Formats: sequence, structure tokens, C-alpha cells
Amino acid sequence: MSVASRLVARPFAPALATLLSIIGAAYHSDVAAQNVSGAHANPAPNDPAGDWHMQARDFANTRYSTLDQINLDTVKRLRVAWTFSDGAAYGHEGAPLVIDSMMYVVAPFPDVAYALDLSKPGSPIKWTYSPDPSPLAVGKACCDAIIRGWAYANGKLIYNLLDDHTVAVDIKTGKEVWRTKLGNVENGETMTMSPFVVGNKVFVGNSGGELGKIGWLAALDVDTGHELWRAYSAGSDQLVKIGEDFKPYYSWMRGKDLGVSTWPADMWKTAGGAAWGWISYDPDLQLLYYGTSNPSPRVPVQRPGLNLWTSSVFARDPNTGAAKWAYSFTPHDQWDYDGVNENVLLDLTIAGRPRKVLVQFNRNAYAYTIDRATGEVLVAAPFAYQNWSSGFDMKNGRAIVRPDKEPKPNVKLPDVCPPDIGGKDWQPSAFSPKTGLLYAGIFNICMDVTDHRQSYIPGTPYDGMEMTRQAGPGNHWGEFMAWDPATGKKIWSIDEKFMTMSGALATAGDVVFYGTVDGWFRAVNDRTGKVLWSQKLGSGITAAPMTYLGPDGRQYVAVYAGVGGAAMVAKATPGFPPRGSTLYVFSIDGDSVATGLEMPTTESTGTLKQNDSSQTSRR
Amino acid sequence: MACNSSVSTRIAWGLISSGLLLAGSACKPHVANTTLDTARALPPEGQLAALPLGEIAGAAKLSAVNEVPNPLAGNAGAIEEGHRLFIAMNCAGCHGYDAKGGMGPDLTDAYWRYGGMPSSIYNSIYEGRPQGMPAWGRALPALEIWKLVAFVQSLGGAVAWNQYHRGLQGDHNVTSTAPEANSLLGVFDNPSGATTPTAGEGSALSAPPPAARTP
Repeated sequence: MSVASRLVARPFAPALATLLSIIGAAYHSDVAAQNVSGAHANPAPNDPAGDWHMQARDFANTRYSTLDQINLDTVKRLRVAWTFSDGAAYGHEGAPLVIDSMMYVVAPFPDVAYALDLSKPGSPIKWTYSPDPSPLAVGKACCDAIIRGWAYANGKLIYNLLDDHTVAVDIKTGKEVWRTKLGNVENGETMTMSPFVVGNKVFVGNSGGELGKIGWLAALDVDTGHELWRAYSAGSDQLVKIGEDFKPYYSWMRGKDLGVSTWPADMWKTAGGAAWGWISYDPDLQLLYYGTSNPSPRVPVQRPGLNLWTSSVFARDPNTGAAKWAYSFTPHDQWDYDGVNENVLLDLTIAGRPRKVLVQFNRNAYAYTIDRATGEVLVAAPFAYQNWSSGFDMKNGRAIVRPDKEPKPNVKLPDVCPPDIGGKDWQPSAFSPKTGLLYAGIFNICMDVTDHRQSYIPGTPYDGMEMTRQAGPGNHWGEFMAWDPATGKKIWSIDEKFMTMSGALATAGDVVFYGTVDGWFRAVNDRTGKVLWSQKLGSGITAAPMTYLGPDGRQYVAVYAGVGGAAMVAKATPGFPPRGSTLYVFSIDGDSVATGLEMPTTESTGTLKQNDSSQTSRR
Repeated sequence: MACNSSVSTRIAWGLISSGLLLAGSACKPHVANTTLDTARALPPEGQLAALPLGEIAGAAKLSAVNEVPNPLAGNAGAIEEGHRLFIAMNCAGCHGYDAKGGMGPDLTDAYWRYGGMPSSIYNSIYEGRPQGMPAWGRALPALEIWKLVAFVQSLGGAVAWNQYHRGLQGDHNVTSTAPEANSLLGVFDNPSGATTPTAGEGSALSAPPPAARTP
């Protein structure tokens, strides 16, 4: 059956769904219409509603879709419409992109890219691209040979290879347009983060904070791949791109060359502070926001000082890289709490004053609402169980460290909460402008930790934390929660036996989506936290769900099930699933151009011979 | 260096000679079980280079494999020093403090991509492996590598030193095959009837002359 005839055959389905959602919305009380926090977000760059052009959908990192065919009434009818397996064994952490009826996905190592034609039965492969990264990278990546996302810009799919190259691929042909070398994998540097595009620049950062690699963020020209600037996370002000315009809010971050002087002699050269997380952008302030990872080595006694600018967030001018402000969430980070989690950009009113803020759920278990023009902390409140700090000093913008939770070498320190992977790791939250709430998968985990002094040996871990991790109070490892960023309060939460390490997706259909490490994919009422629908997938979910409108007019929700990454810390837990590599795509009743009573066949739409080297040899 | 033991001095020498640093703080009182005599009993440098990583092709399949035991296997002092090296050389950062894997493979189980005999483990440490295992042959003297091997062997997953073929064929904890199948195995493996020398025959240390190995 052709797409056109199916559309004719079911002309009323979308209209009916819309009607039902209108009735549903009217039925709910006035509370249902309220924006709880009063927060809003800028939907720039205003990509087409049915498409998904970047990992977080918009510059503000909301992961919010205005699609609403799948809503409180229809969500119970979600069924699998089609699936796609890339066969890669490592952790799947990214979300598919959909641009003009084509879907683009990139598998984890060996980083093969696929273009799928959504207009044809079975969504056949149009092209594959095999970049053949160095196998050395597999053993240099701290936390599985994963990929966290890929980007689209100006006719090109752009992503990072695990072996420190950024590649751009022509989305029409699958041919490589450019490949830029950004690091040396032999020394323990890898790249796992999703590139982020603003205009004609693509921003990329490194991984390797566990191997003593100094962190950096770089800007590349979208069309040529030429590197335009690089800003380091430690070292002299020149290397960090701190100049006249740099105005940190708090006095303890002011001074010359703090990226050198807050370290013992020369240790800034192996500082860590990798930029392996998410990037967001404010087109009005014209500032780029991203976080930096833990200091190296992870053993704090070896690096007395504030260790700037690790475990921090930077605001930078995307044109020059110049830093406007920075803020260290956990100065002299002793527990590997990092600062790389997503910064969601919201506009809201606090104490009667409208503020442009960024919200970060930091691994240290505090949720920060920060003025994104100045770096002032407006709200700081724990969102997960923690015992490393006894409170928050709002005057200095710093959590108060409990001395009894500071690790010492060769001494086992029990019950530190959260552990290295935090109260929430990199798995991105979502924001709904209808409810004004943020939605996030979080953790409830503690650790027993023994530090071991480290020697720096290039290409090996500069790490030193021996840990066992266990569930925190309540004996569940995960939670999915709704959070009010104006007041710093949890509105509701759902306990999960396993870690909740998927991204979140918020929609205008008043349902939010998330997945669990044991493989449950769930849809939740965004106001009440009631789980409306669940399906067990073939592996654990550590990727982010997304939604799109197919060329057939139906709304789909897609998520990878391929457990990996830091979720593997719980691999010995009974019930933990096997690895997987399948993208699941859901629709109402499972209807799609890939489903039917007749006999669809694969239409090969590509003009090129497929070249997927992961199929011709074992990798 | 804060530590005066011969062990750490030698490590330091190896690392310094390759331009690396070592914090002296990892040192503990020296356990004097690995004497100069043990060092003299080590297989000559280069001998292990003759150990094949894969199975042997063609007629050479029937010749003896250069199987070599670890002279420090089971030596409590060597195992303890190997464990200390395992942490000090950042092995634990990849393979886990419990050696059950992480960035690098589990060293306690019976799965060995590059062989689980002590000589194979020695070679993996000495030469490095292509998915991120560094080559330690220039940083660590042979004695220290054998201590690391002794530690890995103590974890229980290693293959016996003279079980080259069993390791390749994945024979861990196998039950016996049917008598008729067992009696025919040699016939199918060796249709020409040539005599296969017994694995591990004679002293491992009197095995064929070592191939030259350039450190």
C-alpha cells in the first residue's frame, strides 16, 4: 500500500486525535492549564514542528515537541511501528534526527552512520557511512565506546568519532565532506559528545578527564571543518580565553590565571575538565553554555586548590570563544561530580524579578537555577539524596562540604552520596512550556570509596577511585521526577528499581517519556506523574527519546534500546539486561508505512552501493 | 623516591628511562620473596617472542609450542608486589580494582582474547594490545611483568602454562568426550600419522633458542 493510499484510507485519525485532545484538555480542571513555575523557553531556531534537527531539539535544550497526536487519551494505544538495529554492541546514548522525511542515526563504535528513508515501506537504508575509527579508542574511552549524539547543519551530518576526529557527511549522498583531527587517542583522549551547531560554526569538546587529558571546547567551520578557536578548561587566562570581558559573579573565581594558580605546580597540564556534555545557546544574549568535567586525578589530596575551571559551567561568545563568566559547581571536586550536564535555558520570575536562567541538575545532587547573564546562583536545592554537603552558602554560591565525607588515600570511606556518577548523570532532562516543569531521570545511589594516589602515565587512567556503589535510602536505584525550577521543589517522582538513565522527552500531548536501564519505556502524565503506558524493550534504555511527524502525517516516538555507558556500573544487578542495538519507533496502534496486512517490501532508494564495514568484519 | 625497595627502584628506573613519572607514595615495606635467584630463573628475554598468538598453520602445527611457566606463579610475595604494581601502574583504572573489568577486560574469568597462559599474559603486558592496552615492555623490567602475571594468575581465570591448545580451543571445565570420538581425535587432527610431541615436554627453560627481541 502506498503512503498516499494509506493517508486516504485513514483520513480522520489525526483529526480525531486532535479533537480528543481538545476535549481532554477541557475536561481537566483549571490546574491543568497552569504553568506551575511560570517558566518559558525560547523555541529557537524554530525548526519545523514535525522534524527534529538537533539532539535537544532547540538551542535552549528543552527536548519539547509541539506534536500532540500522542496525548493523555491516545498514549495507551502506543505500539511498535517499526524497528532498526545497527548491530553495534556499545552503549546507545543519542537520539535520531529527522529532516525532510529522512532519519539519521549514528551507531556507537565503530561509529557507522545510517540514513533511513521514512517515506518508504520499512524505512530502508538510503546510505551508510563507515568512518573506520582506530580500535585503540575502544580501550581509551572511560565509560564504554559510546556516542552521545550527532548534529545537522547546512546539508551535513556532523559527529565525533571516538578516536578524536570530527566528520561531516553529505546527507544526500553519505559521502564524507571533511574530517578534522582534534586530539591524540594514544594519550587517552576520546570524543563522545554531540556536536552543537550555531550558524556556520559547530562546537565540539573532548572526553578524557579520567585519563588526565585537559579539557577543551573547539569551534569548527561547518563547511570546511577548519578549527576556528579552542578554549581550554585550565591553564593561563590566554588558554582559557579569559579576557577583559570575563566577569564571574563570585569573588573566589576572580583573579589572574586562576587556571594555573589554583593547582599545584604544572598540574593544570593534566587537569581534566573535559567538555563531554551538552551545549546550549541563547540567541538574544549570544552566549554559548557548556560544562566541564572532573579534575584529574580524581584523588583530591594530590591537587590542593580550587582546581579551576573543572566541574564548572562556562558562558562564552561563540564567535571568539571569549569567556563571559564561569561558575564552579564543585570547586576542588573530591567525588568526580563534574559539571557537564545539560543547561536548560529558561525565562522565569524569581522574587518578583524576571530572570533569564539556566538550570542544571548537577551530578553533586543539587539543582541550580543560575542567572545566565551573570552567573549568579538564584536557586540551589538537592533533587536527589546527598550527604556530602550540609547545606548551601548562597552568599558565596557554594555547597558546604562535610569534612567527614572527604576521601583520604588508602582509607575506605563508606556511604558517600551521591557516588561518582552522581544524583543524575549526563542523561538530558526535558522542559514543557505548558507545565513550566523540568522532567529528569535521576539516581538514588551511594558509594563506599577508597582513594589511591596516582602517577600520571599517558594513555592510562589518572583516576584513583576504588568504589562499590549501592542504592540509597528506599533501596531503589532510579527515579523519574518533575521539578519546579523557580522554587527548587520536586513536584512528583516515580521510584524505579533500576537506574533511570535515559533522556526525557516532553510533548504538547501532555505526556512525557523516559526509559529505564532494565528496558522499560514509559509514558507519564506530565502533571500528575501517573504512568500511563509502558513497554519492555530488548535492552536497557540509556538513549534519549524523540518524536517526529512521518511523511504519512502520523506522530511517531523513537528511542534506542542499547544499554551501556556508565549504566554498566549496575551490570551485576539481578535483572540487568543484555546489550542491544535496536531503535524502536512507536505510533498509535503501531500503524506506519512499515506495517500492514499486505506485503510491503524493501524499496532500495539509494543510488550508491551500501558500505557498512561493521558488517564485513568483526569490530 | 620515598621508597627504597629494589622493586620500586627498578620500576622507577623503567619509567624514568621512558620519560614517565612515578609517585613514591605507592610504596609499602618491601616483601623480600623475589630474590635475585628468582630473577635469574626468569625465561631469557626474547624467548616468549616465539610464542604464537594464533593456531599454527600447516605442517608446523605438529611441532612443539614454546610453552613457558611463570617462575613466580603462586609466590605470595610476588603476587602481593604484582597487586601493588597493578594499582601503581594504573592497571586497576582500566581493569577495575577487583580486576573484573571496566575500560579493559575482566582478568578473573576464563575469556582471553590474546591467550590466558602466563606466557601469553606476559606478552600482552609487554607488547600491548590494539584496543588500548599499552605496551609496558619499555617501562617495566621482566621481573616486574612476571609479578603482574603472578597476580593475574592468582585471580583464578588464567590458563595453565602448558595448555596452549586447550586455551585456543576453549576447553575450560570440559567433561570427557565419547571414547570413540576421543580415540579418533588424533586421526582427524593428524591424518598423515606424524608424531606430535607432548605439550610441555622437557624443561620450558631449555626450549628452542630465543628469538631476538628488540626492546
